[in-house]
Amino acid sequence: MTRKVVEIAGRRLSLSNLEKDLYPSYGFTKAHILEYYRRIAKFILPHLKDRALTLKRYPEGVEKDFFFEKRCPSHHPSWAKTAEVRRDNGERMTVCLVNDLETLIWVENLASLELHVPLARASSPETPDSMVFDLDPGDQANVLNCARVALILRDLLSNLRLTSYAKTSGKKGLHLYVPLNRKETTFENTKKFSKAVAGIMQKNYPDLVTARMPKEYRKAKVFINWSQNDSSKTMICVYSLRAREKPTVSFPLEWKELKDLARQDDPEKLQVMHSEAVSRAEKQGDLFREVLVKKQKLPHL
Amino acid sequence: MAVQAIWSGTISFSLVAIPVQLVKAAEPGRVSFRMLHSKDYSPLVRRMFCPEEDKMVPPDEIIRGYEIAPDKYILITDEELESVSPERSRTIEIVEFIDMKEVDSIYYDHPYYLVPSKGGEKSYRLLVEVMRRTNKAGLAKFVLGEREYLVAVKSTEGALALITLHYSEEILPDEDISPKEGKIEAEEKSSIKKNIKKMITDFNPEKYADGRRKKIMDLLKKKAKEKAPVEAPEVEKKEGEGPADLIAALEESMRKVKKNR
Repeated sequence: MTRKVVEIAGRRLSLSNLEKDLYPSYGFTKAHILEYYRRIAKFILPHLKDRALTLKRYPEGVEKDFFFEKRCPSHHPSWAKTAEVRRDNGERMTVCLVNDLETLIWVENLASLELHVPLARASSPETPDSMVFDLDPGDQANVLNCARVALILRDLLSNLRLTSYAKTSGKKGLHLYVPLNRKETTFENTKKFSKAVAGIMQKNYPDLVTARMPKEYRKAKVFINWSQNDSSKTMICVYSLRAREKPTVSFPLEWKELKDLARQDDPEKLQVMHSEAVSRAEKQGDLFREVLVKKQKLPHL
Repeated sequence: MAVQAIWSGTISFSLVAIPVQLVKAAEPGRVSFRMLHSKDYSPLVRRMFCPEEDKMVPPDEIIRGYEIAPDKYILITDEELESVSPERSRTIEIVEFIDMKEVDSIYYDHPYYLVPSKGGEKSYRLLVEVMRRTNKAGLAKFVLGEREYLVAVKSTEGALALITLHYSEEILPDEDISPKEGKIEAEEKSSIKKNIKKMITDFNPEKYADGRRKKIMDLLKKKAKEKAPVEAPEVEKKEGEGPADLIAALEESMRKVKKNR
């Protein structure tokens, strides 16, 4: 095993296997991955900050086995921030908080290609700062169907004075976020609200949408997964790489762009690759910034 | 039939503590009806309505006010109400024993039974027996739901009954009810006495029944035999449901979305 010691913000990190190709059919090594996260750090860090990270590690690359790790590995550097959280079964658990570049690089050195975080911060695990609609296409549907659903959802919510933001999942779907950022909000609120929205969508667009989980209902339709609005669930963090054949990114899109792309009949255009992600973020800034700060109240609950 | 306990704890006085459960001793025999929409038999729900704005008011816009004069209110929050609500009782602590005869039945509110919990049977029986012999009832303060009640614990047919009593301030004054004027002749008095005597019998509650309730139940049975019940429209997929105001707002928004597409 090869090692390379680097120093970030005065902290020494020993990086291993930098030449290992973790996306073999595309050709993207661990060094490439670390470089991607180094360059995207200033955009992704605010979205990871103070949230219990779930690592999804691919030590042998995206074509081999992966494992989820909710606990912060016990060998974590002493300077890496952690938090104590309580799991559903009441058990206590130490989790990693990725609040700075050095922790991000350490986590990526563990081949945690995908970074998954809850909708709430570790210090207030029952307070979601946003409500999310996870749009997941069933068989014979694709991201273009998701885009149509997302655009309807945006209008539906906007009539209720709720602004929403969309990002690609980096896989086949889209994620729509409604920032809330109020300490009074509970997951019960977001669940009830999102469930009602999914129900209305299914009722009005039965050929396009389903609000039901079982696979047979999802054929050729977009599943609006409202049940992600739960303290025990995590979402792929915006700007995180995805472990697909190619290094795609969960990337924020402007509504106008989504509208244009939905008209063109090419689902691949809705995928944002690592290099494009960096250059676009640097050019346009963080399109998801408002998700962290905009205060909105869910009406009629 | 196992009766649903509405409270469990202990009943105690001086050094005795008996584990007990509280169950209802009476169920009001009212026949209740659901209100339906005549067009499609949908069960109707109550909503709050603002006559000023001529529209329904969502729950988050509803607050409490105490009317001190016409159109003048003191506002009170849930937290304030909660802060003055008593804590749930764990024991029924008998503080006094009284003669039950002294309690005017006007004070009786609701009857309950106390049922002995495991291990309490023996002392329970003892207490029932002593109370029966002495014909005394225990007085206690007891919190049920969000209210603190004055309760009387007495022996009844081999069991302990608990009766919530009205506070004296809840009893309406009767001064205006009893007429002050008019002399009563001795003759009249004795005639009434005689008539009452003729009608005296033992108290036999089984002889009486709620006539209207029985008639309604008979009518319902007859109608059920004659004709199949009407059915409410099937509310498909409860999973898509939500608070009525939210659903209404979403439907409204959806109409606009569809119009603009």
